[in-house]
Amino acid sequence: MNRAGLVAARLLQIVPTFLAIGAVVFVLARLLPGDPVSAMLGDRATDEAVTRLRGAMGLDEPVWAQFLLFVGGIARGEFGTSTAMRVPVTALVLERLPATLMLTALATLLAVTIAVPLAFVAATQAGRWPDLLIRAVFQVGLSSPIFYVGLVLLTVFAAGLRWFPVGGYGTGLAEHLHHLLLPAVTLALSFSAVIMRNLRASILGVLTAEFVDFARSKGLPRRVVLLRHVLRNALLSTVTLVGLHVGALLGGAVITESVFAVPGVGRLMVDSIFARDYPVIQALTLVLAVIVSLAFLATDLVQMWLDPRLAR
Amino acid sequence: MRGRAPLLAGGAILLALLLCALLPGVVAPYDPLAFDYAALLQPPGAAHPFGTDQFGRDILSRTIAAATIDLQIALFATTGPLVIGTAVGLLVGYYGGVADAVFGRVVDLVVTFPFLVLVIAIVAVLGPGLGNMYVAVTAVGWVFYARLMRGEVMVLRGQDYVSACKVLGYGQARILLRHVLPNAARPILVYWMTDMALAILLGSSLGYLGLGAQPPEAEWGVLIADGKNLFTQAWWVAVFPGFAIVLAGIGFSLAGDGMADLLDVKR
Amino acid sequence: MRRTVLKAGIAVLVTAAACALPAGADAATRGGRMTYARYADSLFLDPVLNDANVDIWVLTNLYDTLLAPTRDGLGVQPGLATAWQTSADGKAVTLTLRSGVKFADGSPLLASDVVWSLDRARDPKAGAWSGSLASIDRIDAAGDAVTLTLKNPDPTIIPALATFNAAILPQKLFEAAPGATAEDKAKAFAEHPIGTGPFVMASWQRGVSMTLRRNPYYWKQAEDGKALPYLDELVFQVIPDDATRLLKLKAGEIDGTEFVPYTRVKELQADPALRMELWPSTRVAYLTMYCGPTFKDGKPNPLANAKVRQALNYAVNKDAVIGITTLGLGKPMRSYLPSTTPLFHAQDLYKYDPAKARALLSEAGFPNGFETSILSLSGNADEANNLAIVQQMWGQVGVKLRIEQVDNATRTARYRAEDFAMRTSAWTNDISDPSQFTSYAAYYPNIHSLHSQWRDERVDALFTQSQQEIDLAMRTAQYKEIQDRYAAAAPIVFLYETPYPVAFRKQAQGFVQIPLGNNLFEAAYVDK
Repeated sequence: MNRAGLVAARLLQIVPTFLAIGAVVFVLARLLPGDPVSAMLGDRATDEAVTRLRGAMGLDEPVWAQFLLFVGGIARGEFGTSTAMRVPVTALVLERLPATLMLTALATLLAVTIAVPLAFVAATQAGRWPDLLIRAVFQVGLSSPIFYVGLVLLTVFAAGLRWFPVGGYGTGLAEHLHHLLLPAVTLALSFSAVIMRNLRASILGVLTAEFVDFARSKGLPRRVVLLRHVLRNALLSTVTLVGLHVGALLGGAVITESVFAVPGVGRLMVDSIFARDYPVIQALTLVLAVIVSLAFLATDLVQMWLDPRLAR
Repeated sequence: MRGRAPLLAGGAILLALLLCALLPGVVAPYDPLAFDYAALLQPPGAAHPFGTDQFGRDILSRTIAAATIDLQIALFATTGPLVIGTAVGLLVGYYGGVADAVFGRVVDLVVTFPFLVLVIAIVAVLGPGLGNMYVAVTAVGWVFYARLMRGEVMVLRGQDYVSACKVLGYGQARILLRHVLPNAARPILVYWMTDMALAILLGSSLGYLGLGAQPPEAEWGVLIADGKNLFTQAWWVAVFPGFAIVLAGIGFSLAGDGMADLLDVKR
Repeated sequence: MRRTVLKAGIAVLVTAAACALPAGADAATRGGRMTYARYADSLFLDPVLNDANVDIWVLTNLYDTLLAPTRDGLGVQPGLATAWQTSADGKAVTLTLRSGVKFADGSPLLASDVVWSLDRARDPKAGAWSGSLASIDRIDAAGDAVTLTLKNPDPTIIPALATFNAAILPQKLFEAAPGATAEDKAKAFAEHPIGTGPFVMASWQRGVSMTLRRNPYYWKQAEDGKALPYLDELVFQVIPDDATRLLKLKAGEIDGTEFVPYTRVKELQADPALRMELWPSTRVAYLTMYCGPTFKDGKPNPLANAKVRQALNYAVNKDAVIGITTLGLGKPMRSYLPSTTPLFHAQDLYKYDPAKARALLSEAGFPNGFETSILSLSGNADEANNLAIVQQMWGQVGVKLRIEQVDNATRTARYRAEDFAMRTSAWTNDISDPSQFTSYAAYYPNIHSLHSQWRDERVDALFTQSQQEIDLAMRTAQYKEIQDRYAAAAPIVFLYETPYPVAFRKQAQGFVQIPLGNNLFEAAYVDK
């Protein structure tokens, strides 16, 4: 099967997963105790007010009818209207998505930039003190909860030293980057530790592999061996890891956005769950699922490019 | 300096935490629930090495007592996924076929869902409290163990000694349980150690959001959430429980690394 | 009677004229922008169809009512009406409209706008607040006079005209909004609301920030004779995390913020660059107890016995709770009504007495106490603190409390289904009259007395009578009896009242928060 065919097949595979996720989230959202009306009207609403609003929102329709409306809407590209904010969901999601994407992209960039060179140092100095120091530092990063790290960074670097703004997002690319740096560092901390550990093990594995000995026995200098052979194979596992971790990153973004008041989809998701805002919960889950699926696909493609043997 | 050092260091940390968890009354200097209106928000000092909180409760004692809950989380949140995931992975990896195809779809489904969001949603549905958190984590987490197990089993399946067993006429169950499982188990056990550290982080994140352990149970994440608003004037209330989480994570990681070396597992 | 009311009206007018002007003697700086951080975003800026405080407290910056609440929240002063008069039999109210008022788009305020807005507000099919104007039978306009003809005398109609849902909207602009039904038009209009208030909406990024700009046609004048507001722009930023809001304030990135946690108040008071403001409020915190004979699952309810409820009140040391949760900023509840409510009657409620608590529990048949549970809001530090103390104190009299932290929607769902033993609760008045809270807390037919199933037929009768009692002395006596009976039956655990804690940078001044909670920025300014 050629590459194009493979891509097409994988894209087609996303569709049933997509539908299954849609069904699961539809049911799960409605299992949450309460409903959009109880979240919106609060404690003081009388029974008539609640009944009236439920009817207006179509919550009294049988569940299967609501589901058909939902599926039909998706087919048309409409995700309905947010019950809490009363604006079209599509516009709301599109407004919030860039912040999260930028945050996760920045976090990934930082994580890779920190982890890759240090992984090389640790692997080539395996067993000696640079290796131990690097592993110890990353160990701490791996074990620290995101909200804890975020709070400390915010207090020290933003409120204390005033090097960064205290949360938020800003306007314009330059301000976005300035606002997102601390949250990106928070997210990148544990991610970079995972990359570093994996890459280091991978490099160590490759360094002892047979073909490296073979290459060296041909008289190639050590540096060339490292760069050409080790790099390519080690990078392969890193790319895999990054791709697989997109889901985890998006999960981490949820808490990071809350602590740093970043207007992204992570916070929107949590707010919507608390507000029982079914249309937004459903739409966001599908959007996040698509992003993760595309990330997997991209990972597979890059893998195939880096190692043609994998293109089955 | 590989060898035994990581395993010993990790083991020592975990042992200390285990002691705190099993015998908090012995280890902790004060009753973690005791209010002391005369000593509100005391900074770390001789009487209270970790300071006190807004009710005068000793932070050191609360951090030690919280070890019970957090180690419970580490254990209960991972054992379910471990057992279920290993069983499913074993069967799916060995027999393949339709079950494997279905499994593949299920994995896709679970893995594309943001994990934290799924857990929050399930906990919101079932109600707050640790028991429901365990259910939520088990419902989602078994997939990762199963996937790992399946991979290992598929490699082993084709190995010589398994074919040899078949030729010798051993029953399926015996092959699975006494030959495939022990060999495939090693990477699972290493992953389990890392997972325990992750479970504590997850539990404390949920505690921070108010969806995990319920008051007045002390749990490290809950303690940090309590201290969040006092951060600028009483930093000790949040900082020391944070150290505890980091320490536990380091303990599990070192133990995991050491175990990997011991069992000679390629990570 | 008529003369008394007339005199009262004029007296209020005169004092109110003085109150309407900003209190500060310093010259206010004109122009500039103030940024204010809120813990949650507004949801739906329609005066009639909304319900949440996050909307109500902001609406007064966009819209005006005929009468405005006085700064102490107890009375009314002229708003869009300059004078008002109640007839002798109390069944008609005539208001004189202020002349020359324009909406934010420059169109003039007409008497027909007033009639239309109030008709819309009192329509029982629209919104949950129509009850406040339910006594109105007919509204007529002649020239600049608007007359409300009431079905029966209504002592609450004057305060009701100062309440947010009686805001005056521009009929023509509203009806020109896109949408087929009135609801659709309301939604569309609420995106770009046009009112007569000091500010008008410039932009709104949901969940992130709302920008209001100065209404050039605003009718109220400042001390210097020029029109209010001083600010050119008012920005509301949404920052749910308390700690982050305060970090931003201290860093000078915002000018002010609401809901400062009590634990931080002293720290902000000590900061020379900031100013901590504690505004008297109508905010009370209490624990609602379910009083029905059995729970939803059929098990008998120990709280159904009034002695048990009294015991639970005696077992709590309110001063300790106030000391620890509010750090002394609160004061004990002296009635179920907030102390800034008209007709409030103060009593000494359940002084801490654990021995008496144990005695009452024994009398009620629970010598060894019992187990119960409470629903509280997850992530809410104040509730967590209160419950930690209450749990400990009740433990000392043998009552074991299990705390269930749930999210808001879950708590509301179980509350409405009356499937709870206890829950944490809070209340702020929206109208300056005791009838609102009483109809929720003590009057059974409305929501079963806070969904607690507490029923006192005498209280129900007193309430119904008081709704048509225009003699102040009689009404005061009726409410005294209601409050006395409520205190004796103790359907709630009385906790405390707290002020609204807002904080500003020293240069940001002029903000006013009235006890009803409305945030007034009309006279706010930022010094350079």
